[in-house]
Amino acid sequence: MIRCRNLTWGAPGQPLTQALDVALDKGSLTAVIGANGCGKSSLLKVLAGLQKPLTGKVLLDVPRRGNVAFLPQQQFLDRQFPISLQELVAAGFWGKKQTAQQRSARLEAVLQDWHLSGLQHRPLMALSGGELQRSLLARLCLADAPLLLLDEPHAALDELGQKLLWQHIQTWHTEGRTVIVVCHDLAAVRKHISQTLLIKCSGSVLAPSSQLIKPPQVA
Amino acid sequence: MIIASQLWQPFQEFVFMRRALFGGLVLACSTAPLGVFLILRRMSLIGDAVAHGILPGAALGFWFAGLSLPALTFGGLGAGLGMAGLAAWITRRTGLREDASLAAIYPISLASGILILGIAGKRLDLLHLLFGSALAVDSQTLTGMLWVTGFSVLLMALIYRPLLLDTLDPLFLRSVSRVGPLAHGLFLTLVVLNLVIGFQAIGALMVVGLMMLPAIASRFWSRRLPVLILISAGIGCISVWLGLLLSFHYSLPSGPAIVLMAGSMYLLSVIFGPVHGLLRRPPLLSSQ
Repeated sequence: MIRCRNLTWGAPGQPLTQALDVALDKGSLTAVIGANGCGKSSLLKVLAGLQKPLTGKVLLDVPRRGNVAFLPQQQFLDRQFPISLQELVAAGFWGKKQTAQQRSARLEAVLQDWHLSGLQHRPLMALSGGELQRSLLARLCLADAPLLLLDEPHAALDELGQKLLWQHIQTWHTEGRTVIVVCHDLAAVRKHISQTLLIKCSGSVLAPSSQLIKPPQVA
Repeated sequence: MIIASQLWQPFQEFVFMRRALFGGLVLACSTAPLGVFLILRRMSLIGDAVAHGILPGAALGFWFAGLSLPALTFGGLGAGLGMAGLAAWITRRTGLREDASLAAIYPISLASGILILGIAGKRLDLLHLLFGSALAVDSQTLTGMLWVTGFSVLLMALIYRPLLLDTLDPLFLRSVSRVGPLAHGLFLTLVVLNLVIGFQAIGALMVVGLMMLPAIASRFWSRRLPVLILISAGIGCISVWLGLLLSFHYSLPSGPAIVLMAGSMYLLSVIFGPVHGLLRRPPLLSSQ
């Protein structure tokens, strides 16, 4: 369960929206939508404890450390950084107590899941945008966190990558994990996510996706 | 045979040359990972700024205790950490970019150091402080360098993973651990410590060259971080060895000779390095 009480966020003295009061059930799958600059990514950072709210509180039913996995937007990564795809993904083991053998098996499985087998030794700078995004998602998988916060996870993914992404999101949801996804692809949100939080300056709304997002027009 | 003998003979014959070589080699190994991480963290100029920041502390140490290793070390360490801390504090409180904050503080530090020496009325050779003399490394300084190198390598091994993640993806690290700021603080402390111990051997300004040039050159040879660190240490060691020989055979100041050798290595790397070197084709950015 995530409960936001009287929550505002943004630059000091300049809250991006009116106070947010909302409760998301444990195991729920929620999309966060809204116009550019309305504070969707910042809200995820506040929920992850990476940014302080201006007012109010975020209450989680689990401690943050070790229980929250955050997928940042990939443009914040230094593409020239001299590590391989495998090293990037393996960072997801942070804080996990596993033997080298268990790690190796898990890493292999997760790379296979995200169609990254064979690329593990490729340096970061030689990866395409889609490969990098799938690597970040693979790293997220290794965290095994009950709360997943995804900031534009579909960015740079091709059709196959997006299919993989939505399959994984559905799997996490059925496993009982709480998943929050910032997404600009409204058609995909309507298709795959039942509940949506619309962020607006005048006040945010939590409602079924089918109510907030019109079905795509057929030409 | 004659050339081979010239490469080794000065070190076989003279104790001060052996001491300078040993001190320079351990310093090169110690500063290699620091230089590589400074570049990756986009803090390449911080070494230069901190090297200037050390001066007022070293000058105060000299004023009160003369040419005493502990006084110069603790004075330089206090001033260097103080300068880095003040720059970070101003950045945090005012939003001024860190490089601008450092650029503002280091001329103040340099001017303060020179003024302190002037007010003290003593005649410490400022050129010695700025450019040093590897050939004057005594056993006390060498012992200090060994301790600092051992401590640096050990601590870098301990903070390697958090520092790597904090550099690559600080948001991810902050979401899984609180260790990022600690790793950053320890890393900066090591940078200051190495600059302080290095300035007594090859001078405050020259040690920055030994820290940064091999690290920058190594980026033209590999795309893997551990390999970059090893190559950087190797380039640093070769620069120390060749620089000392140049200094010995042509009666040149040792600090600048070492740094010029590192500079030559950098230029060779820019031209011949397989990773983005001028004579190589640009690599494909995509695997497709």
